[in-house]
Amino acid sequence: MAFNVLVVDDSAVMRAMVIRTLRLSGLPLGEVYQAGNGAEGLEMLDQNWVDLALLDINMPVMDGETMVDRIRENPATRDLSIVIVSTESSDTRIERLRAKGAAFVHKPFPPETLREVVLQMTGVSDDELCGQLAAPGGELDF
Amino acid sequence: MMSCVDNSLHQAANSTFEELGFMLPDRELSPRQSEAAVDAEVSVVFRGPFEGYLVLRMYGGTLGVVAMNMLGESEAPAPALQRDALGELANVICGNLLPAIAGSHEIFRLDSPQPGTPDPAAAPAGSTLVSTACIGLDDGRAELALYATEAISPTGGPA
Repeated sequence: MAFNVLVVDDSAVMRAMVIRTLRLSGLPLGEVYQAGNGAEGLEMLDQNWVDLALLDINMPVMDGETMVDRIRENPATRDLSIVIVSTESSDTRIERLRAKGAAFVHKPFPPETLREVVLQMTGVSDDELCGQLAAPGGELDF
Repeated sequence: MMSCVDNSLHQAANSTFEELGFMLPDRELSPRQSEAAVDAEVSVVFRGPFEGYLVLRMYGGTLGVVAMNMLGESEAPAPALQRDALGELANVICGNLLPAIAGSHEIFRLDSPQPGTPDPAAAPAGSTLVSTACIGLDDGRAELALYATEAISPTGGPA
C-alpha cells in the first residue's frame, strides 16, 4: 500500500529534507504534496486524498496548530494521521497538539527519529518494510 | 566566563549545525575562518514572555556547504535555496534557544525569517544586544547575535 503524503512548511528546504527522509525511510510513498502554510495545506487536502500530513507550527497566513484544528473539525479529514515537525518546545503546546491526535518530532531531527514516528503513525512495521524490500522486484532482490 | 544565555546560544547553534547542517563546529577559529567574507545574513523576530530578534550571518562559503548538506546534493544549491536554508537554520536555532532561556513552559511566536536585520517597524522597540556567538565551520564561520527588549538575567529568563 502506498501512502499519499502532504508536507507543510514555509521553508522549501525543510520540506525537501522531510521528503528526502521519508523516501529514505523505506515507507511506500504514493503522491507527495507540498504547501507553504496551513491555508495552502487545507486546499491541498480538499483537492487530494492524503494518508499522512507532516506540518510545521510557525508559518505565515495560517499556523500549524490552527491547521490541525481545521483538519479535526472536518469530517472528511478528521482521522488524518498528523506528525508535527517543529522547533516548538513548550510543554503546554506540545501536549495540546498530542491531545488533538498529532505526533511530534522536534527540529533538528535525526532522520531515524522521523522515520520511527512516521512508521508508528502509519502502522507500517519494520518487518513489513523488510518484506517489501526483499520481495521479488524489491530493492533487496538480487 | 560565559553566561547561561551565552551557553544556551552556543549549544542551540552547535546542535543545529550538527544535526541539520551535518557540520561539526570548531571550538576556535582559524585565521582563514576569521578573515572569511560574509555570505548572507538573516534575522528572526520573536514575541513571547520577552521579545526581540536573532541575527545569523554566515561567512566563507559555508552557507553553500550547509545548504548542500541539508538538501543532500553534490553541488551548492541555487542562491534562493541557500537563503531559504539560512532562514531555516536561524528559525531552528531561535526556536531551540528561547525555551532554553525562558523555560519549556513558555510559548513564543517566531516570525518568518527575513533577509538582513529586521525592519525597524517590525523589530520589537528597544531591543538591545544580549548575547553573541561565533562558530567556526569548514572554511568560514557563523556569527549569531541575540537582541531582546528586556534584560535577561545571566542565569536565563527575564531579569
